[in-house]
Amino acid sequence: MSSDFVRMLVILIGIAVAFALVLAGLVFAGGGRRSKRYRPGRPFKFTPVWFLSAPEEQSRAGIARALRAATLGGRPTGPRETGGASDRW
Amino acid sequence: MIAGEVTAAPSSGGVVEGSTVEGPGVAATVPEPQRAHPSYHPEVVHGPLSVRALLRVDEALRLADAATGLTFSVYIGELGEDSRDTAQRLHARLADPDVSVLIAISPNERVLEIVTGSRARKRILDRDAHLAAKSMVAAFSGGDLGGGIVAGIAQLADHAGRAPSDN
Repeated sequence: MSSDFVRMLVILIGIAVAFALVLAGLVFAGGGRRSKRYRPGRPFKFTPVWFLSAPEEQSRAGIARALRAATLGGRPTGPRETGGASDRW
Repeated sequence: MIAGEVTAAPSSGGVVEGSTVEGPGVAATVPEPQRAHPSYHPEVVHGPLSVRALLRVDEALRLADAATGLTFSVYIGELGEDSRDTAQRLHARLADPDVSVLIAISPNERVLEIVTGSRARKRILDRDAHLAAKSMVAAFSGGDLGGGIVAGIAQLADHAGRAPSDN
């Protein structure tokens, strides 16, 4: 086996290994950065939120008082007729 | 919620977070109404939606409210074992539940609840809500929370139609 052949073999294997390492690094870095993304079936940590279309009006209407009543163990409103739908994925 | 600027119109959305609701198997976080501009409410950044998705949801909520005259809201958090009951409790805490529509989503439990008030359900029939739920669930199962919410709000608003005063 000539020395040129061995050198070429080492270079080719080195390139392949380097490419694999770079690829693995990119995948690992990308996974870490995008771990916040929701993936069904995987644990998803987040701060619960409730988006209101008009929080100022809700506040004026007394939702804050209702919440205080709820924390004291009372139910702010009685049962109401509601509709809608339920689903799972 | 995300309103672009602090000087947002009164109709701009809001994020809420804070106290805990009592209930069977429930550990849901419920609101203290406040603005949700990221610079003032950093907890929004740690919420389930990206900033881009927040902006889209904010716009969808504002458009739906303005077009229908109903009050739309979106809750994202744990709903517990009896998710329907929890969602109804949250809905009852809105200022005017009769004309309010709550979309409650629990990503970890993979549960979606749409609750319409007594007057809102006359404009958004349960069948329509079910169709919107199917559409939302399809997006959620693909990992697209923001897209599913926006699509659901748009569908519900379409079914509700224009506010009666516009007719």
